[in-house]
Amino acid sequence: MTSPRDSDTQASWVRLAGQTHQAERLGIDRRRFLAASGGAFGALFLAACDSQGPRSAQAILKFAEEKNETVERALLSHTSMNVPRRSAKAAGERFPSYFVSRQVPVWDESARGPWRLEVGGMVAKPLQLSLADLGSLPRTGYRLDHFCVEGWTAVAVRTGVRLSDLARAAGADPKARYVDFQSFDDNYHESWDIESAMHPQTLIVYAQDGRYLNPAWGAPARVYSPVKLGYKNTKYLTKIMFMPERNGGYWSDRGYEWYGGV
Amino acid sequence: MKRHHAVVRVTHWVNAIALTIMVGSGLRIFNAYPAFARRGETFCCYAFERRPMPASLTFGGWLAGARNWHFAMMWVLALNGLVYLGFIYLHGEWRDLVPRRGIARDAWEMVRFYLTVRKDHPRQGKHNALQRLAYFSMPIVGIVAVVTGIAIWKPVQLSPLTNLLGGYVWARYWHFLAMLALVALTLGHIFMVFTVDPYSIPSMITGKYREDLSPEARNARPFVHLLPTATAGAPPSLHSSSEASRDDVPPRL
Repeated sequence: MTSPRDSDTQASWVRLAGQTHQAERLGIDRRRFLAASGGAFGALFLAACDSQGPRSAQAILKFAEEKNETVERALLSHTSMNVPRRSAKAAGERFPSYFVSRQVPVWDESARGPWRLEVGGMVAKPLQLSLADLGSLPRTGYRLDHFCVEGWTAVAVRTGVRLSDLARAAGADPKARYVDFQSFDDNYHESWDIESAMHPQTLIVYAQDGRYLNPAWGAPARVYSPVKLGYKNTKYLTKIMFMPERNGGYWSDRGYEWYGGV
Repeated sequence: MKRHHAVVRVTHWVNAIALTIMVGSGLRIFNAYPAFARRGETFCCYAFERRPMPASLTFGGWLAGARNWHFAMMWVLALNGLVYLGFIYLHGEWRDLVPRRGIARDAWEMVRFYLTVRKDHPRQGKHNALQRLAYFSMPIVGIVAVVTGIAIWKPVQLSPLTNLLGGYVWARYWHFLAMLALVALTLGHIFMVFTVDPYSIPSMITGKYREDLSPEARNARPFVHLLPTATAGAPPSLHSSSEASRDDVPPRL
């Protein structure tokens, strides 16, 4: 706010200086100024309007994903272990249930025969394991964080067989660089790099919180490792395939990062 | 003499774009689980658990799209920040940004001026005390955002870092708060640029700045003396630039 006296004084200054008003000389007036700044904000806002961004950027994003995979692989170490905070409560019954089929996938013995977990691909001795067979193999259990891609975490005790133990039992070929985990939850599967699969906390889990898995959590067996995001950990397992090449995955083929390391 | 070196100008705008995309995609990721509590627990310190952000503020379209943008743009944000910090360290611009002795008093004088308690604009160098504080905190909060971001990206492989921040849940919370602080600083900055010193916009593009249109010369506070007056642009012969004659300038409210 300028008092009348001030504007008078200023007007006389303008006359004295024999100049046009600065704003006119600069070509700035309030309306143009507001329009220009409004336009700039509008552009920013439109860009942020829940869009996926320009299509041409997808190639750059793919490139970044490849470079990130290199960094993530370099960071992966078999000695870095997940230890949930002591204060963390177990999720228990509130552990979320997730599957892609329309209903909870349940293995139908009358239609498909007894469930078996096949360990195959580049292995010397392909295995067909029943739940009892899995139970008779060396048992490993950890209290672990679950890292979901959505951002939540949940703590549970996971019990099962180390995948590295299974690989040894099946005589996996050292030339197999990838492992594909397949399921009877529709066509859900996810393939992993062998290094993550051989991490000591990567388990073929058949029990959670001391009880056999229930169907909501992936019964009869699932893969679980804290070094991978939740979606990489296939539930309702049917096959573990050792492979020379990666084989994509349910969510990896739909735009989620293939590596999905934690 | 340019007001801002080309490196500062380029990194400023790269940062503006990268930060906008990081915040937008980050909010889209947040909306996939707009809460902090571990499953089966409650979280003490967030009042809006399970309430998503408005979709209009988000970027990336869906979770995977937002994650792909976030994990690509993080490199731009971090490397650009390193270039900026390295440059101002080697080139000396840090001297205009690091708080000086008496910064609290100077900042208080700026607040008094903005609240119209004080009539005349405090004397300043390149930046006023409030700007100094804002521009100094921005990179610090930025570093917090990057470090907390790394902690929630790799909570197993880099678990010592994540544990240092209180674990995944807390690291994610600090990451969120750092984002809020960056957004607050940015919005404050944009507001002040447009309401106090829009003439500084060319200085961040071409580098040119007219000292005679500076907020100090215009005695400008938000929305007040936004347009240059004849006094500001008048030839020096009409009023001396000496400290004593500052009283000759017509008093303004």
